[in-house]
Amino acid sequence: MALEVLERRPEGRVGREALTIVGRKTLRKDAVAKVTGRELYASDITLPNMLYARVLKSPYPHARVKSIDVSKAVEMGAVVITSQDVPQVLFNPRLVSIPEATYKDWRVLTDRPLFVGEPIAAVAAETEELAQRALEAIKVEYERLPAVFDAIESMKPEAPKLHETIILKDREVKVERNVACRLEIAEGDVEKGFKEADVVIEREFRTNRRYHNQLETKAVVVNLEPGGGVTIWCTTQTIHNTRLLIHEIFGIPMNKINVKKISLGGSFGSSIHTNIIVPIAVALALKAGRPVKLVYTREEDMHDHVSFQMIFRLKLGAKRDGRLVAGQLQAIVDIGAHQIQAYPILGVIAGWWVSLYKLPHVKYEGIAVYTNKVPSCAFRGYGNPQTTWAVETLIDELAEKLGIDPLEFRLMNYVGEGDIFWGQGPTVKTVIRSCGVEELLRRGAELIGWHRRPKPGQQKGRFRRGIGMGRGFHTSSAGSPVPGSVIDYSGAMIKINEDGTIDYITALMDHGGGSLEAIAKIIAEELGVPLENVNIITADTQTTVYDVCTHASRGVYAGGATALKVARQVKQKLLEMAAKILDTYPHALRIRPDPKRGQGVIYVEGIEGKEITIGEVAMTARHKNWGTIAAVDSHRTEAGPPHFTAYFVEVEVDTETGIVKPIRVVAGADIGTVINPDLARGQIHGGFAMGMGMALLEDTPYDPDTGDLVNRGFLVDYKTASAPDMPRLKDFTVFFAETYEPTGPFGAKGLGEGAFNPAAAAIANAIYNAIGVRFYELPITPEKILQALRGGGENV
Amino acid sequence: MEIEFTLNGVRKRVQVEPNELLLNVLREKLYMTGTKYGCGIGECGACTVLLDGEPVLSCLVLAADVDGREVTTIEGLARGEELDEVQKAFVEEGAVQCGFCTPGFIITAKSLLMENPNPSEEEVREYIKGNLCRCTGYMNIVKAILRAAGVIPQTP
Repeated sequence: MALEVLERRPEGRVGREALTIVGRKTLRKDAVAKVTGRELYASDITLPNMLYARVLKSPYPHARVKSIDVSKAVEMGAVVITSQDVPQVLFNPRLVSIPEATYKDWRVLTDRPLFVGEPIAAVAAETEELAQRALEAIKVEYERLPAVFDAIESMKPEAPKLHETIILKDREVKVERNVACRLEIAEGDVEKGFKEADVVIEREFRTNRRYHNQLETKAVVVNLEPGGGVTIWCTTQTIHNTRLLIHEIFGIPMNKINVKKISLGGSFGSSIHTNIIVPIAVALALKAGRPVKLVYTREEDMHDHVSFQMIFRLKLGAKRDGRLVAGQLQAIVDIGAHQIQAYPILGVIAGWWVSLYKLPHVKYEGIAVYTNKVPSCAFRGYGNPQTTWAVETLIDELAEKLGIDPLEFRLMNYVGEGDIFWGQGPTVKTVIRSCGVEELLRRGAELIGWHRRPKPGQQKGRFRRGIGMGRGFHTSSAGSPVPGSVIDYSGAMIKINEDGTIDYITALMDHGGGSLEAIAKIIAEELGVPLENVNIITADTQTTVYDVCTHASRGVYAGGATALKVARQVKQKLLEMAAKILDTYPHALRIRPDPKRGQGVIYVEGIEGKEITIGEVAMTARHKNWGTIAAVDSHRTEAGPPHFTAYFVEVEVDTETGIVKPIRVVAGADIGTVINPDLARGQIHGGFAMGMGMALLEDTPYDPDTGDLVNRGFLVDYKTASAPDMPRLKDFTVFFAETYEPTGPFGAKGLGEGAFNPAAAAIANAIYNAIGVRFYELPITPEKILQALRGGGENV
Repeated sequence: MEIEFTLNGVRKRVQVEPNELLLNVLREKLYMTGTKYGCGIGECGACTVLLDGEPVLSCLVLAADVDGREVTTIEGLARGEELDEVQKAFVEEGAVQCGFCTPGFIITAKSLLMENPNPSEEEVREYIKGNLCRCTGYMNIVKAILRAAGVIPQTP
């Protein structure tokens, strides 16, 4: 698919003939270690003289610790820490935004827990079992306080208060009615806009509260270094922000904190911030004077992170001819007990919303509300899948009311090339320079048989099939021409070894999607070397320059652009040295990979004999003492371009059981130049599986009596898609649009989140097409379907 | 108590507690960290190993129960640098992303192909339903297993 895309690229852009590595299927470098069990993850690290840690967590959703007696645990030989043993500072575990957008309300250990699972104390002992026994020997006297589990209830004057004051930058902020923060945006005159509209629809939507269920639970190992330093292996999407936070909390100089890059067993946003176990393990190691390992159980992990849950009040107005004229959105976001990125998400919800369809008049109000639940953090798409589900549901409804084909309605109104895109909310804007939306929609419609889909609600019989679509996008990085409230830059070092192989050293994390594989290809392409020669180095904070975080689908786009910039600097040095040796000029030289020699070969076009391998240049540079051919630099992209996606899904609804099965999927993606075709398809497969979970399966409701999760954190009661739930191989089609992003490395954009964002919306619209009922609350469970069908097909 | 068993073809003698789980003994005492902890309650399949050729969830097996028996973990499949067919297919079909579920899937797939060398797509999907993956959507995993069985050709 990718090769076909490149072949037909418009002239003046990089054509297939010019690309030898980018766009071709290659084997990922870490695959052999991963299929043989040799790949190491944080929980695989064992150090000599290491202690095992366990965390004591609040069994109550809201309480005050009146007393805590750790004497028995200490007698058993355990090292114990409570809130008295940790620095008394408020912090925010996510450091991706600037201080003016980072509200602080967390402590390492608390004596006033605000959710079931909030850490109260921690122990370290010789074995995990002893640590657990010591934990059970700690006596805590709690004073139970009233708790609240619903965002609307939480804003009422009689609701229990979670936080009195929190910190923004260096100033105290008083919390009123449990509102963590709010954001209002208006453009145009929304009242006037709705007056001009011929059709207006307003709905309330409620999303689910989804648990990431990354396969690896949160884990950390801390080693103590002589002189008060710490070395940390942990589940993280950002080693540098982890180091910054440990510095902020403990005051350890940054050059004495080393955070090691290690493989991540999935994350999906759940380690966009420093997981709370990291400072806990550091505090334990410092007190014990020994290395400490702390790995959460699955049940603990489910009490550690969750998606944002939203209540949207969405109103859209359109003219009879199909032009949207006005939109109003109120987003009430249930953030749980603490802020990780509450303020930023209010901005991005607005951004995702206004970047889907052109709305001349808009009004937005975002309110983030505290509840006594697990704190919410980013979850693949960062509010975009939720927003897109609501918008794409309402767009479908509006089109139907207007009597316009929903596909054409979307094409009439979408935000595309030349329009302004709010990549990460109102402070991160860029002009869209590449857009394949029309191609995605037209080709997708053709492949699924859009125009042959049934009429909603016309079917009889037990099994009813329907086709639905959802379109969307995600930003590729939070880059933009001016600094916004989100920090976004990457770093890379590239050096040429004396044998012509290349070391690529970066702090950028690869969560498994293959970002670093793609970047290795970008480097190989630019330097003209075989891909095998580019080595992705396992690095740490001591040996790398800053990289903000792998999030916002920025790995390939922003990380790749940074590596490309550095590769060009290296190439310049390399060609200067080669020109000296070959008695020519740097700009007269070309490089081509020579797989036979296993080298990049530098040559003068048309003159025989004027050639030398990169290894020979590097070795000559050594013997002549010219130095290492290397460069290191940081880079901020001047844009954060959207990558676009569209899902067309056919579902089968069993009206006896209420079970919905997606049986056919056509997914199109505009990601600019496709660098890793098989891994890109894999992102889409995985995005769809997650979208199915969001639409049909996943939620973490609370039991108001216990204040705990209804499932108590047990995975047996948190269902995600398994293999038989997916469509068959031949029924899942993935295609890529023919686009080229001028600001991206070799024309590439991101994909990770766009691959997921519109999937749930497409499934929901397909269900409507099958049974004629719309659902405004996720997930659409079999119970809800049966109830709706029994209720005579009323929308619910 | 002391147990003795064969681990990937090598005799092992190890001291274990009567309540100790095979998963923990493999990971913490024998440093075979390829077998992963994902849930501890038999829901995710990340800890799957072969016990006398049968797939078991090592988080639900007492170490004491493997005394005198034969255990194969992910580390026991390749011969040196030469990968097993299933491993090779997982690499070549893009069936690996974060890799945390991969050992469990490969062991489960090995077991399937020993029972049924020519499985249909439905049979593959059904057999691996106890293994969870959050990255791949299973498509390339199913493809890799069918490909390892020779049922479908390698994807170009």
